[in-house]
Amino acid sequence: MNDDAKPASSPYRWRNPLAVWGAKGGNYEVPSIQVPDPRTVWDENTAYKVRLHKVGRMKHYIIWPANASRLWSRWRWWPTRRNPLHVRGLYNRKTLKAEKKILDRRPVYWALALLALAVAPFLFPEGLENTLLTAGAIFGIFAAVNICWTLIIGTASIFSLASYAVVGVAAFITSWLSINYGLPWWQLPLIGMVIGFLFGGLIALPAMRLDGFYYALLTLGLNELCRVYFTTSKEFGSASGGLYGASTYIDSDWPPLVQSLVGYYGAFALMVAALFLFRFTNGKRLGRVLRMAPEKREAFAEATGVDYKRARVTIFLLTSIALGFIGGFYAAQYRGVAFSIFGFETVLLGLAMLTIGGIGKAEGAVLGTLIVVVLDKVLITWGPIRHILIGALMLGVVLFLNNGLYGMKRQFYAWRDKKKGEWRSTRAEKGGEALPEEATETDDKDDLYHRRFDKMQRDYLKKLVCDEVIAEHKAKPLGQHSEALERLLLYFRRAPQEDKYALHRAGPNGPYKIVAFSGMRGTSPRIVEDREYTTIEEAYHGVFMRRVHDLLEA
Amino acid sequence: MDDLVFILSNAVVVACIYGLVAIAVSITWSSLGLLNLGYGFIFSFAGYGAYLAAKMISAHPLVIASAGILTGALGGIIICLLVFIPLHDKPNFTIRGMTATLAISLMGSQGLLWWFGPLSKSLPDLFGVWQVSLFGIVFTSDKLGIVGCSILMLTFVLLWMKGSRRGLEIRAMMMNPHAASIVGIGIRSTGFYVMAITGAMAGLASVLLSQTYYIAPFSGLTPLIKGVSIALCGGLGSVQGAVIAAIILGLVEAMTSRLLGGQYVLITQFLTIITILLIRPRGVAGILDRAREQ
Repeated sequence: MNDDAKPASSPYRWRNPLAVWGAKGGNYEVPSIQVPDPRTVWDENTAYKVRLHKVGRMKHYIIWPANASRLWSRWRWWPTRRNPLHVRGLYNRKTLKAEKKILDRRPVYWALALLALAVAPFLFPEGLENTLLTAGAIFGIFAAVNICWTLIIGTASIFSLASYAVVGVAAFITSWLSINYGLPWWQLPLIGMVIGFLFGGLIALPAMRLDGFYYALLTLGLNELCRVYFTTSKEFGSASGGLYGASTYIDSDWPPLVQSLVGYYGAFALMVAALFLFRFTNGKRLGRVLRMAPEKREAFAEATGVDYKRARVTIFLLTSIALGFIGGFYAAQYRGVAFSIFGFETVLLGLAMLTIGGIGKAEGAVLGTLIVVVLDKVLITWGPIRHILIGALMLGVVLFLNNGLYGMKRQFYAWRDKKKGEWRSTRAEKGGEALPEEATETDDKDDLYHRRFDKMQRDYLKKLVCDEVIAEHKAKPLGQHSEALERLLLYFRRAPQEDKYALHRAGPNGPYKIVAFSGMRGTSPRIVEDREYTTIEEAYHGVFMRRVHDLLEA
Repeated sequence: MDDLVFILSNAVVVACIYGLVAIAVSITWSSLGLLNLGYGFIFSFAGYGAYLAAKMISAHPLVIASAGILTGALGGIIICLLVFIPLHDKPNFTIRGMTATLAISLMGSQGLLWWFGPLSKSLPDLFGVWQVSLFGIVFTSDKLGIVGCSILMLTFVLLWMKGSRRGLEIRAMMMNPHAASIVGIGIRSTGFYVMAITGAMAGLASVLLSQTYYIAPFSGLTPLIKGVSIALCGGLGSVQGAVIAAIILGLVEAMTSRLLGGQYVLITQFLTIITILLIRPRGVAGILDRAREQ
């Protein structure tokens, strides 16, 4: 039978090793308990008992092997000091080989996505080419508008709903000019820019005074105003549902497929131009200035010297010029424009595109436009259901995502961090005597370790207290004892002076009383209890019982 | 003279109807912080509710009006359930709330289009055909009825907000939503009351407007935009401001169509609104200068 497995109450007898020499006053043989291994307590206390969860993984970087001599040489975008992909040279910590780490992979994704859009017309299935090319052209133009719009809403924080109104006004006026004065197609976007600047300047005026939603509602009304004005005025063809007949860059003598292809690539080029505008506005000085002044923190930004109003209006005007350009381009692409550009539906769909993708991000605007255009223009046979689907998608995105599809990653990280924090807080068990927050306030860290060790030791010693040990002490308080009792007594003797028990002898031969030291020089001990012990052995045992009691209570 | 009186009385009628929507928008914004652009949908929804009630149950004016009010309240509760309850404690609530109500508006109008088809419907006359001559001016039954009903509804809502426990809760939320929630006013339950009562107002406005216009899936857009403009001009959150703005804009509308012609109405209206907002960015009343900053 294994000794360790024996229960504490088993009839184990301890033999005094000094008995053969006739140990005076000590026990020869007493019933006691097997002493458990003290290391078990240490192992229990230091074991890591928390369940681990697999959450995510380390961020994955692409690392290229590099020639050590060329580790620090890299391309730069002329004339800036920026390098493509944000490549950083480093030495592998394990192998000490030179490596190059890509920190910013977004340009790769952009290049791949734009390449896919560029070659997409050659991959369209037979029979659907015309539909898809038309939808692709609409996608390009809408994406360009939405990129500009996201600059206004996201970067400039001006909640304008009149972007399509600017496009529409520019498109209508340029079409009208082209029809009545025979302007060539290439002049239309340029004139559109002027119109966009003027109209944008006009609607930027209230933006200086109004904030947030007042401006949103006002621009919603302006949109309606434009719709009503253009639909009811005779010059702009109130009868025909739109204004058509402007000059175009798409020659009607070309075969239809070529016309569609040219239209597609024209719109694609427009979108790429809008992306450049976004990059050079949001990613440069203006964007950085405005990132300093997010909504509700304008006062702080102003105090630090950021002229946010000027920056916002500048972006608004720049974008209005771009929107005017898009309007002129629209007129030149479709030979005119329909009244539906001013419709509430258009604003709603545009907002759906922005919201689904994520406001304030070019990739969000493009992805949202792609999704909504595919639903709206390609699945046109579905009727009103497709709009219900778009609405449901928009609602779902708004309800569950903080900032559209491209905000998902950050939202997921935030959620994961929250969960991590929750799990971490469940591990706050009191391992030592000191809680972590107390520990920071203690100067003597040695004391913390001592308290921790002391707790472990007491946990261990509590296991040794049993009837056998108490009986053994009662029989012979002095002399050699069994291992269990000896360990207890050693611990008790090592107690600090403060509140340490001692015996007070009242007469030359007793009786005895238990007292406790004050631990302070000059302060007399206090009497612990009134009970008197007639013999010193009884008194020793009384002190022992007190200490055992204190140990078990602590 | 008769012409002017006719135009003026028209303006008052229109101002009454759009004022109801404006006050609904205003109350929702100031108490819940939700910019509800779904009233256009509620408007059409309530119109179709009244239409169905007239067709299925009875063409009695009371039945039609209460059906419109009840469907309007139902629409408000739907928006509350879909938008306010899940979103009100999320980050970016104002923008997301507004976008969500727009999404509901998109889905709702397209759903109505899908269900009822693009043909517009009309409701029977609620107020009969009679007229009253007062000081030599003739008032037709529908105009008197519309003005009377909207004033009645408005008075009821205002009295309810002044006198009842729920109204007290709503007013507390308008003053300081955070403090209101601290003293034990449930944000969600108040949301239900607010959305139901404002939806009912939009529903009544819908029934009243259907005396003049037809009910169509997208017929709620104009009332929404007019209502929002009035609310904007009067100052979001202020009922008195909305009433004053409704009167001002009604007068502008009447004067423009008399002096310049009907197609300039929106232009002059917006110029008026922009001027007022440039002078007082928080509208005519602008009482909530610092109250709503969620």
